[in-house]
Amino acid sequence: MSGIWDAVLADLHRCVSESETSKRRVLSTVWNEMGLQAVLLYRFGQWLCASWKRILLWPVLPFGWVMYALGALVVRRGYGIRLSLSADIGPGFWVGHFGGVEVVNCRLGERCSVGQQTKVGSAQDVEGPLVGNGVWIGAHARIMGPVRVGNGATIAPGARVTKNVPERALVVGDPGRVVFRGYDNTQILPRA
Amino acid sequence: MYSALRWPGRVGALWRALIWVRSTGLLVLALQRVSHRYLLHRAQRGWSAETLVLRILIALARRSIAILTKCDVAELVDVGQGVYLSDRGFLILGPERIGGGTLIHERVTIGVRAGDPGRPVIGENVWIGPDCIIYGNVSVGNGATVLPGSVVSMNVPAGAVISGNPATIVRRGFDNTALRRTLGTDIVRPSMVLE
Repeated sequence: MSGIWDAVLADLHRCVSESETSKRRVLSTVWNEMGLQAVLLYRFGQWLCASWKRILLWPVLPFGWVMYALGALVVRRGYGIRLSLSADIGPGFWVGHFGGVEVVNCRLGERCSVGQQTKVGSAQDVEGPLVGNGVWIGAHARIMGPVRVGNGATIAPGARVTKNVPERALVVGDPGRVVFRGYDNTQILPRA
Repeated sequence: MYSALRWPGRVGALWRALIWVRSTGLLVLALQRVSHRYLLHRAQRGWSAETLVLRILIALARRSIAILTKCDVAELVDVGQGVYLSDRGFLILGPERIGGGTLIHERVTIGVRAGDPGRPVIGENVWIGPDCIIYGNVSVGNGATVLPGSVVSMNVPAGAVISGNPATIVRRGFDNTALRRTLGTDIVRPSMVLE
């Protein structure tokens, strides 16, 4: 429970910096950022999964699942963002614009960012991608199948990752190739 | 102009009304023009009760159009005359300027490079295919042709044809008038262009 709340705060602080957090600022950010709404809904789904073990909550949980299903429908059909509960997304996740985002059956580390039209995942019965901490995934990028992406790597817009990516590497192109090692992406990660 | 661009040969009030109802790209474009005019208006007049009410109305309209079409064309973009946006949506556009007669297909991203405020400039009569990305402080020249699936982060000379990820110039001095007439209703293969 507390772990999920920490994750929610980390997600929020990717959009609002910690120094300027106020109630009004947080509300306007949640209204403006469609990606943040999708991430918050995903955390709600995670909380529902985790609270299965608490018997006192059983009478409330069906309503929670109905709410989650409705919200997921709106986010998926309206915004075009699909954050499946089969994906394990670490705290501090950030979705840049909206439309065509699919994160399914994979593991993402802390402070990851994805842009629009990004596909991360694999089929349900296959091992999915394993993405490290602080990875920046640009717009239209695709990470499919059982690949590993190291900590602090940067996937350029439009890249298609087919092989394992070392730490702090910059991947460009289709098929993706490492053009630069030791690339520092903390400048482009928003508030990481 | 728009009806001729959308469905050539179909004129009349009924067709025009149908086009306005059915064409989501045209709705996005109309709303973008309204909000761009509003931005200029507010820069002149400053904040007042009137501009605040307009701000809220435009924000609501933009959100509903975004959910309806999955398109987001930034307010600050200076869009020229006779621009065609695809009806299939998924456009995230934030260039500095889109020249007149430009044709943009679905699932196209035009925007800044992360951590760099410079915006791309799209020239006139450019044909941009589906699944393209144009980013960074670059300019795409007049009459250029960006083939489907290109990822462009460099300057494109006028009349050039570019393709690939990362993009390279495959031909210079190509006249894309015939290509722009197809309006995305036909499937355009690179071999058709490079003949």
